[in-house]
Amino acid sequence: MKNKQVFICGTGIISPVGSGLAATEETLRRNRSALAPLDLFPLQQGKPLPVGQVSGPEEEFSTPPRTHRLALIAAKQALVNANGPPDAIILGTTTGGMLTTEKLLQNRETDKKRYQFHGINTVADYLADEVNCTGPALVVSTACSSGTVAIAMALNMLRSGQAETILAGGVDSLCRLTYFGFHSLQLVDPNGSKPLDINRQGMAVAEGAGMLLLSTTRTRDTHGVLLGAGLSCDAYHPAAPHPEGKGAFMAMQKALNDASITSDAIDYINLHGTGTPDNDLAESKAVRRLFTTAPPLSSIKGATGHSLAASGAIEAAISCLAVSKDLIPANTNLQKVDPTLGLTPQKKPKDSPINVVLSNSFGFGGNNGSLIIAEPETCLSPGTKQNKIKLKTKTKTKFAIHGYSCLTGGGDTNSTLQKIKEGTTVAGRAELETISKKLPPRLIRRLKRLPRMALSLASQAHEHCGAERHTPHSIFMGTGWGALSETYDFLTRLTESGEQFPSPTDFVGSVHNASASQIAIMFGSTGPNITTGGGDYSFEQAVLAAELMMDKSPAPALLLGADEGHPVFSPLLDPSLASDTSLADGGAAFSISREPKGALCSLTIPYYHNSKAKDAMAALVTTLSATTGGLDGYGLIMVGIPAAMHQKGEEQLALFMQLASLSTPVFRYRTLIGEFASASAVATALAISCFESGSVPGTLTGGTDRHLNHQQNKILVLGLGEHITALELCRP
Amino acid sequence: MSELTKELKVKLIDILNLQDLTPENLDENAPLVGGEYGIDSIDVLEMVVMVEKDYGIVINNQEIGEKVFSTLANLTAYIKENTPASSS
Repeated sequence: MKNKQVFICGTGIISPVGSGLAATEETLRRNRSALAPLDLFPLQQGKPLPVGQVSGPEEEFSTPPRTHRLALIAAKQALVNANGPPDAIILGTTTGGMLTTEKLLQNRETDKKRYQFHGINTVADYLADEVNCTGPALVVSTACSSGTVAIAMALNMLRSGQAETILAGGVDSLCRLTYFGFHSLQLVDPNGSKPLDINRQGMAVAEGAGMLLLSTTRTRDTHGVLLGAGLSCDAYHPAAPHPEGKGAFMAMQKALNDASITSDAIDYINLHGTGTPDNDLAESKAVRRLFTTAPPLSSIKGATGHSLAASGAIEAAISCLAVSKDLIPANTNLQKVDPTLGLTPQKKPKDSPINVVLSNSFGFGGNNGSLIIAEPETCLSPGTKQNKIKLKTKTKTKFAIHGYSCLTGGGDTNSTLQKIKEGTTVAGRAELETISKKLPPRLIRRLKRLPRMALSLASQAHEHCGAERHTPHSIFMGTGWGALSETYDFLTRLTESGEQFPSPTDFVGSVHNASASQIAIMFGSTGPNITTGGGDYSFEQAVLAAELMMDKSPAPALLLGADEGHPVFSPLLDPSLASDTSLADGGAAFSISREPKGALCSLTIPYYHNSKAKDAMAALVTTLSATTGGLDGYGLIMVGIPAAMHQKGEEQLALFMQLASLSTPVFRYRTLIGEFASASAVATALAISCFESGSVPGTLTGGTDRHLNHQQNKILVLGLGEHITALELCRP
Repeated sequence: MSELTKELKVKLIDILNLQDLTPENLDENAPLVGGEYGIDSIDVLEMVVMVEKDYGIVINNQEIGEKVFSTLANLTAYIKENTPASSS
């Protein structure tokens, strides 16, 4: 094995304090706050609150949306000295094209093409197109820790040998949803954010983008080294942090462990420090618990505001600045430190040797992430406390599936699977009763469609494997569209009340990771909690996230994919829903672990690429040929072709079958399961059910029943269209 | 029980979706937040919106909020005290 480090070879940053590292550094050295009253969009009433707005001539209403443009600006900066496109893109964002969608909805726009950039996946896909990246383009949405989680995933992908360069970061633009949402939670300081101050009253919602070009090879432009990352979940409350900062402590501790350093190696802590009374108090408790004597620390959010998904990535770029320029940024806007915090924040910017920085990001749902960034020379000099990271050879994790569940318009697991096997369609909206079954009324009283589905799927998958020892430690969820009901209801009430009475409950529920955090609360799952939003490939992205981020311990995890069909939003947003397509939704959940003993089957994701990649289908065939049992081992090929990609998908399928010289039966699962983003999760459940019965019903393939034997003990779940993905299930 | 208390009971059950409660078994003197009803800080904010929308009373101070929403009886009293046109 070769020693390997992950280098930060390019940084891109656009935030209210400037565009580019040089401008950012200048503002930070001047200790100037960029917070100012909102003027990006007009308000129907009231004085605009202070926000962190990026200055620029761009209009509010643009195609591609402002989020996409901010991301591209930062990406170009990060790639300025790159030799070629990155092997992959991993991006964190919470609201995607929301700012544009809000305006379209106000104008009662019905042309669905205008909504094509709504989905959070489109930000990464847009960047991939612009920078010619044909590898995986993944999107994580874990609220305000999204950027940090994206960078943590990139770190592990590089360590695994699956990529050599990755563009990773986070982005969010201001929009009404977050501006009014945080205000409705009374989390906005009307006088501008002053983190850690005794008179702090909250945050300032902001926007921006931060991007890092991460590489396993050191270049002349190396700004820093990404030493380690740690993720945790509070499993405590949908919006409030754990009062003792339990999850925050765990994330920092795990980052230190991951970097193989101890807390005394940290020279500066870049705090999450939003300026809300609860966050700053909880974070201070966690810091004091971890450090006997805390190093210099500050929150830069008094200068930049809180740019949500972008914040962790922007602060990672600023951490690079800290180590490369030996600069400790000030805790801008701080006047009098809150003595109950027991911390001494940096009041003025200071030049001081900084070798190792710890940077924190915490989000709704108790989604926490910490990164450790070091000065490159520190890590190369002898006597350092840090051990070299060992690069594994290219590895793909094999998960063992111990239990599963699914639901669709056809009903619960048994009902859905039986109907599909009979050749009957289950495409439809799952009944509210089905998705709420066995869930205590108090638990779900505030939950609308998607979180109910998620909880129902999670509890049934857990019940199915029937053992306490399978209680999940981490959660990985894919959802193409997130909580559409909560988002729609929030925006509707906001508009109907003349922007006066937005619902705090709907805002908290509208974040993509709300469902996964509910699952974590239900099970007490304090490990990584990652929600991916990859459009029609969201479930596959969740599998990738699990592969990269599942803790090394044998502790089990829960993997799921779910989407809700919303009568207004789905037909507008989902390109695969034509006017006559019946609205469908559902999903599936899997209790997974690394322990094959007693498992129903194994799951791997051998392939995930953009269909624009050169010879993508040939590469798919080569990859699958190299799997155990090879191409001949497949007893069934389930194919997901989103309706919007029908022609392209069929061509891809024909080419695949030709290149692979296969006559294996094919089942186009969307014909029976329906058109919704995470339909592939249900197909995966169906595959397991075929293993259980030992055969593939002829009704699915237009032939006779086909027995699965020792030679043909695998099922392939192919995703075609814009991206090409392969999930492989194998019976033990 | 005042008309306002009855009205508030119905509203709270509705906006907080307290499906397992009826106006009759919602005790106006029981702790509203953090008690057996499972009402938390997000619900408090939802009630803040309702009080502003339906009664024109703004509660944006945490200290006052904690007192007002401690029990339904306190909420009723606060609304009565702060509604200029109230005659009940």
